[in-house]
Amino acid sequence: MIALENVTKSYGLGDQTHRVLNNISFSFPYRKSVGILGANGAGKSTLIKIIGGAERPDSGRVIRTSRLSWPMGYSGGFQGTLTGRENARFVARIYGAPFDEVERKTNEFAELGQYFDRPLSSYSAGMKSRFAMSLSYALDFEYYLVDEALETGDARLKEKFRQIFKERRQTSSVILVSHNEQTIRKNCDVATVLHQGKLHYFDNLDDAFMLYRKILFKKIAA
Amino acid sequence: MTQPQANTAPTVLKRDSAFAVQCRVLHALILRELKSRYGNRRLGFMWAVIEPLMFISVFVAGFHLIGRSSQGGVEAPLFFVAGFSPFFMFRDIFSQVKSGTQGQQSLMMFPQVTRMDILLSKLIVNALISISVFIVLMLGLYVIGFQYRIENPLGVLIGFSLIASIGLGMGLVFGALAIRYEFISSFSEPLLGRPLFLTSGLFFSASVLPPNVREVFLYNPLLHCIEYIRTSMFVSFDSRYVDLPYVVIFTLILNSFGLMLLGVFERQRK
Repeated sequence: MIALENVTKSYGLGDQTHRVLNNISFSFPYRKSVGILGANGAGKSTLIKIIGGAERPDSGRVIRTSRLSWPMGYSGGFQGTLTGRENARFVARIYGAPFDEVERKTNEFAELGQYFDRPLSSYSAGMKSRFAMSLSYALDFEYYLVDEALETGDARLKEKFRQIFKERRQTSSVILVSHNEQTIRKNCDVATVLHQGKLHYFDNLDDAFMLYRKILFKKIAA
Repeated sequence: MTQPQANTAPTVLKRDSAFAVQCRVLHALILRELKSRYGNRRLGFMWAVIEPLMFISVFVAGFHLIGRSSQGGVEAPLFFVAGFSPFFMFRDIFSQVKSGTQGQQSLMMFPQVTRMDILLSKLIVNALISISVFIVLMLGLYVIGFQYRIENPLGVLIGFSLIASIGLGMGLVFGALAIRYEFISSFSEPLLGRPLFLTSGLFFSASVLPPNVREVFLYNPLLHCIEYIRTSMFVSFDSRYVDLPYVVIFTLILNSFGLMLLGVFERQRK
């Protein structure tokens, strides 16, 4: 289970405090891919960081009893001076997975060849994201956290991962943050809209889009 | 090259208790830290030994110039190794823990890695390195002909542990303050470094100080620890001024205060 309980997060101090998440309680439905829609600045990235544990809420808590990936696209947690293999081994270790297997699969997916044994700092941006993606697919997560704004990679690569992910849909779900309706429609079963610190849940994608458009329209009108 | 479908099956992850996860994370963080520090550089660990060695050589030479070769009944090199090693351990743990409290640590992108894990792993790695350096220096002295017998190894270990916890506590307190008050980080190190360097008994023992100076210096818990380490190491050295309960209480208060401050200021992080 992945759930938020009374999660509140503010930024800034004193008079300029901005409450990004306001007392949000939400339980992510079992085995459903959830889209989180939000306008720019609505706090989507903050939310995904809090779900993933990169940041702590001011109050409330996050329950993570399911196997949850790190936010896809973030690569800061990998160490540039270590090789791809060593980084894969580190991640396997913190998730308690056998590392020879994780190493082998990561290299198979990422097709890095000899670069797998070179320091990450020598990788191109594309190689680095290929590495990070492959590593996450080498582990069996129940939930993949995806921040769409940070996704990169060429078309062929994206297609390859889409294929892998399709197979994986039987057992895993995504929590996908995006400001793009199309992305959500393609990848998610249900959707939520993040607006003014609250998370509005919809079983039906179209209802979510309706609210989202209303919010966007109001924003432009204002 | 496309891989056959069968190979895309993921590696199955197991579910573990929170404690097991924390141990696993600490283990991984420690190995990673060691590997990224010393993995690819042959001379990595040598540098950790060379720095205290240089300080010690300078002080031994200085002692030699003023015509002395021992202090408190202990030969100068031994005396200095027993003083500088713990102090450098304190300094390294202090600055590493302090820097670990700052900023968004990128490792925290992994759901199971918390800031506490990062701080603990830094504490453990630096303690291990400092103790290894100390052992290397002591063995080195033995090899070049200095005779000694470690009186009370457990006492030495206790002394080092107390030093490490003081470093942790100071790192927590100053790191937490620096989240809120940025200027703290710019002058905490020189301000702390110099006075503590001069008053911790690196190059003197408490017994040679004038009583009124000693009274002031003895507020510094590091001085107690270093005196205690020397007392535990050398038969001929016996300090009457070590007050371990004072150090333990100081350490407990310092660490609780540091954790509390970190909890308070964590929320105000921008």
